[in-house]
Amino acid sequence: MTHLYRDDAPEEFSLTRRKLLVGSALVAGGVSLSPLDWAQSTGSAVQAGESKFMELSSLLINHHLDAEVGARMATAMMRINPTLIQDVDAILSIAKLRNARIVEEFYADVPAGHLKDTAYAIISAWYSGVIENSSNAEVFAFETALMYQPTRDVMTIPTYAISGPSGWTSEAPPMSDMPTF
Amino acid sequence: MANDFSADVIVVGTGVIGCIVAEQALDAGLSVLMLEAGPRVERWQIVENFRNVPPQYKQNWNAPYPPKPWAPHIESELADATTDYLQLEGPNARAYRQGYVRYAGGATWHWAGICWRLHPDDMQMKTLYGVGRDWAFDYKTLDPYYNRAEYALGVCGPSEVELQWPPLPRSKPYPMGRLPFGQGEQRFTEAAARVGVTNLPAPQARNSGVSYDGRPPCCGNNNCFPVCPISAKYDAASALPRIESKGGRIRENAVVYRVETDEKQNIAAVHYFNPDKQSQRVVGRIFVIACNAIETPKLLLMSKDERNPNGVANRSDQVGRNLMDQPKISAQLLLSEPMWTGIGPVQGSSIIMTGQGDFRSKHAGALLRCENAALSAAGGQAALAKGLVGKALDTEIRRLSACTARLTIEHEILSDPNNRLTLSDKKDWLGLSKPNIYYDVGDYVRRSHRDYTLPLLKKLIAELGAVESTIATTFTNSDHMMGSCIMGTDPGNSVVDVDCRSHDHPNLFLPGGAAMTTGGCGNSTITMAALAMKASDSIVEQLRRG
Amino acid sequence: MHNIMRLIGIVICLAYASSNAFATDDIQEAVMRGAYMATASDCIACHTSAGGKPFAGGLPIASPVGTIYSSNITPSAAGIGRYTEDQFARALRAGIRADGANLYPAMPYTAYQLLTDADIHDLYMYFQHGVTAVDTVPEQTALPFPMNIRLSMKLWNLLFLGHTSKKADPTKSADWNRGRYLVDGAAHCSTCHTPRGFMMEELPGQYLGGAQVGPWFAPNITSDIDSGIGSWSKAELVTYLETGNLAGKAQAAGSMAEAIEHSFSHLTAQDISAIATYIKTVPPQHTASDHQSRFSYGKPYSALASLRGANPIRSDTDVEAGGAQLFDGNCASCHQARGQGSKDSYFPALFHNSATGLANHSNLIATILYGVNRTTPQGQVFMPGFGGKVNNVNVLNDEQIATLANYVIDQYGRGDTPVKSEDVAQIRAGGPTSPLLLLARMGIAIAAIVGVVCIAFLIVAWRRRAVNK
Repeated sequence: MTHLYRDDAPEEFSLTRRKLLVGSALVAGGVSLSPLDWAQSTGSAVQAGESKFMELSSLLINHHLDAEVGARMATAMMRINPTLIQDVDAILSIAKLRNARIVEEFYADVPAGHLKDTAYAIISAWYSGVIENSSNAEVFAFETALMYQPTRDVMTIPTYAISGPSGWTSEAPPMSDMPTF
Repeated sequence: MANDFSADVIVVGTGVIGCIVAEQALDAGLSVLMLEAGPRVERWQIVENFRNVPPQYKQNWNAPYPPKPWAPHIESELADATTDYLQLEGPNARAYRQGYVRYAGGATWHWAGICWRLHPDDMQMKTLYGVGRDWAFDYKTLDPYYNRAEYALGVCGPSEVELQWPPLPRSKPYPMGRLPFGQGEQRFTEAAARVGVTNLPAPQARNSGVSYDGRPPCCGNNNCFPVCPISAKYDAASALPRIESKGGRIRENAVVYRVETDEKQNIAAVHYFNPDKQSQRVVGRIFVIACNAIETPKLLLMSKDERNPNGVANRSDQVGRNLMDQPKISAQLLLSEPMWTGIGPVQGSSIIMTGQGDFRSKHAGALLRCENAALSAAGGQAALAKGLVGKALDTEIRRLSACTARLTIEHEILSDPNNRLTLSDKKDWLGLSKPNIYYDVGDYVRRSHRDYTLPLLKKLIAELGAVESTIATTFTNSDHMMGSCIMGTDPGNSVVDVDCRSHDHPNLFLPGGAAMTTGGCGNSTITMAALAMKASDSIVEQLRRG
Repeated sequence: MHNIMRLIGIVICLAYASSNAFATDDIQEAVMRGAYMATASDCIACHTSAGGKPFAGGLPIASPVGTIYSSNITPSAAGIGRYTEDQFARALRAGIRADGANLYPAMPYTAYQLLTDADIHDLYMYFQHGVTAVDTVPEQTALPFPMNIRLSMKLWNLLFLGHTSKKADPTKSADWNRGRYLVDGAAHCSTCHTPRGFMMEELPGQYLGGAQVGPWFAPNITSDIDSGIGSWSKAELVTYLETGNLAGKAQAAGSMAEAIEHSFSHLTAQDISAIATYIKTVPPQHTASDHQSRFSYGKPYSALASLRGANPIRSDTDVEAGGAQLFDGNCASCHQARGQGSKDSYFPALFHNSATGLANHSNLIATILYGVNRTTPQGQVFMPGFGGKVNNVNVLNDEQIATLANYVIDQYGRGDTPVKSEDVAQIRAGGPTSPLLLLARMGIAIAAIVGVVCIAFLIVAWRRRAVNK
């Protein structure tokens, strides 16, 4: 059982105490269920699956999303959630029923339980860049992980220069500003 | 002259201390061979490692530095106790889970770069406050070495006298001017002032505004730990090419496991294992063990022989004892107004006046600071955990990222011979003993936290306008290992003399954190570096005399 | 500009304190004007070694035929302290030292020959009275045989040193004429930017059409839209000359960074305007293979969609890293993940950038190897090198730089011809060498052999005649 900690923080801040990221029903320390053999699907089935995944992702997350990242995410998610394709179809139908264009227009109608968990898992994945909680989780996105975007006008994404040398000040734009992404 | 297995000066450890000694020796015309337990890596690989670490692990500073089997350090995840490298016990075992890096370049790969000097009073704890020990020399003696260390590393600091610490006239200006504050540090400074304490810009080994030693100036990449992607922050890895250009030789993946003495109690050689578990013997005239306060005493204890039954350099029985650090208490706050940390370096200031005062006869002083690491990931994950979606999610991420603050208290600790490192029965991959550490921060620290630092912290929290706060109840590590080869004039109760030379072996030097007599409440590195400069002068002089 | 004048004033006072000469207003003003002309001529860039005293010489200058060391031009006996004004003028205009020996055209006397008598006088006054004497003799140039025979320069000068002084063109504005005077004279632009022929003479028919300068390439700065800077406005050219940075187009590095730092950034606004006016009118030189300007290539791009998280976290760096990986690890921290540069354009974008958009890849390779270090009144612009200097913190080998450069030109620049690791090795060694040295030696050897054969033939013929008599 992995035990997560920060080097400089006590157990209180250990992230296992927080309900994090992927819905608890989906992940238990990165245990993998019997994977669907994604590779055995025909090319067109794969593509159809990926494009549906992107379609749903765009409805759940109303921001620019990279299709290549999405394909990687979908493949990995299939291994944890073998019913992913059916889940995606089901949630898409709910969205279509509502003529939804943005997530707020249909998310409440997604029934609690497995479908809601799937929808939430997809949102989490795009925002955090990972789909599971383990220390060797594949990081699909860091620079494009959406959780860094709402503050991009003020904070740098760590490791990237914010400006030229000493080019920052103690001024910050108002909270009401939201970068477009 | 150096060949593959000999040199004038053998330096074990390629961290900041080893690199300072090596370069000083090379500049004096001596030959140097450096032995490093771990691998040598390129910076770009570490940067990419960090980017590839999952977000909840990104604050494990060792995560981008997976240890080699032959050079273990703490892992990024704790599988279970039996595979832990550091065997920790005692009431505050958690507070000695020290992060250091057994790679060429050492722990400065992921240090904060903060360079607080000792205050003169820190060096006279016994005389002034009746606790701890007095250093064997005073601040004035160490001052010129502090200057040299600051210029060697490239330290930036404020030119305004009222912002300088310790509050004494500097004998030399800082090599570079200070870095600007972001909004978070500015707000914290203002809140601190209202509570009656001063948050000062920290002297830091970060290039400020201009290049230094061919390294670029800080551009706010906000990743000082675990790695500065552009080496604007000094780390010893940046010194390695320069050392090689001066003729120094560096051998990585060489785990020194034995210091060999001769019948005259000189050090004759050191022995190391390579990754194939083959042993090699290296000879020299002077031997420097610069592996900081866990690995150095561990090596000395492992080297016990007939002449030195308690371990090399250990007639005083102090090797491994008197372990110090700065026991840390962390707090996380949610503010009603945005704080906006994450602008500039991850640490840039501290309240350090709180380390001084008459109360030190009764309880510890401490440093307080507001961390300046970007909290966008923390805010992001916290907002996701609330199950929000769409615009509400984005707004909450922005709010939580901007309004979260992390404060830290680092207490000074007294040297206690019971806080000690011994050799565990558990063995590592090479069959060498793992370190066993007993640690108790002591009532001197606990009283301080109860009566002094916790109330002050709460005042700051209130003054910042926190609507929520979580204050840790467990002391954690600050990675400022000190004391385990303590310096003193009496060979009966100290390990090294005023030049970090072992009392027992005239050609053995143990500069660095282990030699520090007291720790104070500020980061230890620049003091360690000053001691390394002083030891280097002594080494060069000793070899010149023959 | 103001600060320099003030500083010169102080220097002058100190010079007076140590010399016996009485200061007259005339001399003081001449020294000030001379200081300005010395800045415009950028004497300091070549005549000062790294960490050395100003104008004391000793800077090694890589040339295709060997290393040339600059001389001490301070008013010391070790420098030009004993030069008369005539000797000074002869050195500047004809390339002849006071002792009669020829200078190598690394000293741009071919350009300085245009300086007016008045400017030469002022320069002389400055170097005699405004510069601090330094008594050390710098390292002397010793080019390999036969280039060390300075006498050969007399033939070269005969062939290539024009003696026409360019009188002002009455059909053009005063601004334009001043600009031409500075460009062709003091600022000696053509000595770098005009390609040279086999004998290393400038080719007048390709004026300012672009040339290799050691590891760097001084690009085409004619008015051609695709091959030159015809797409720049005058204001953009002024910005570039004043700061070395034209956002979204070009940044000065190498010798041009020095020129900006020591010379252009200190000229008056009027003179910069004059230079820009003239440069905009330089006849276009077009290279057939240029179909768009070097400032127009590329767009933002990142490989991270497939690369991020694809590799495990490693403690070894001996892996074969591809261009995208090298870029992400070494370059993206400053130039950003999509090569778009920082918001304040301190770190330039890598697309729409002449360093990546040139067909000649020297500048990209040299920038990666040596970095950029340029200080103007606005501050320092710094990029570290990646292995070109011995103390560089991050070191890439020839293979890695070639891989990285190919990624950069493919994604952000002009990728028609790939970079090979041999190209990198050549730039690392100081740039392409000239076959001139080898051929000169061969030529001399052949001439010697021919000479010996002729003499032998003559001896034989003479003997035969004597025998036959």
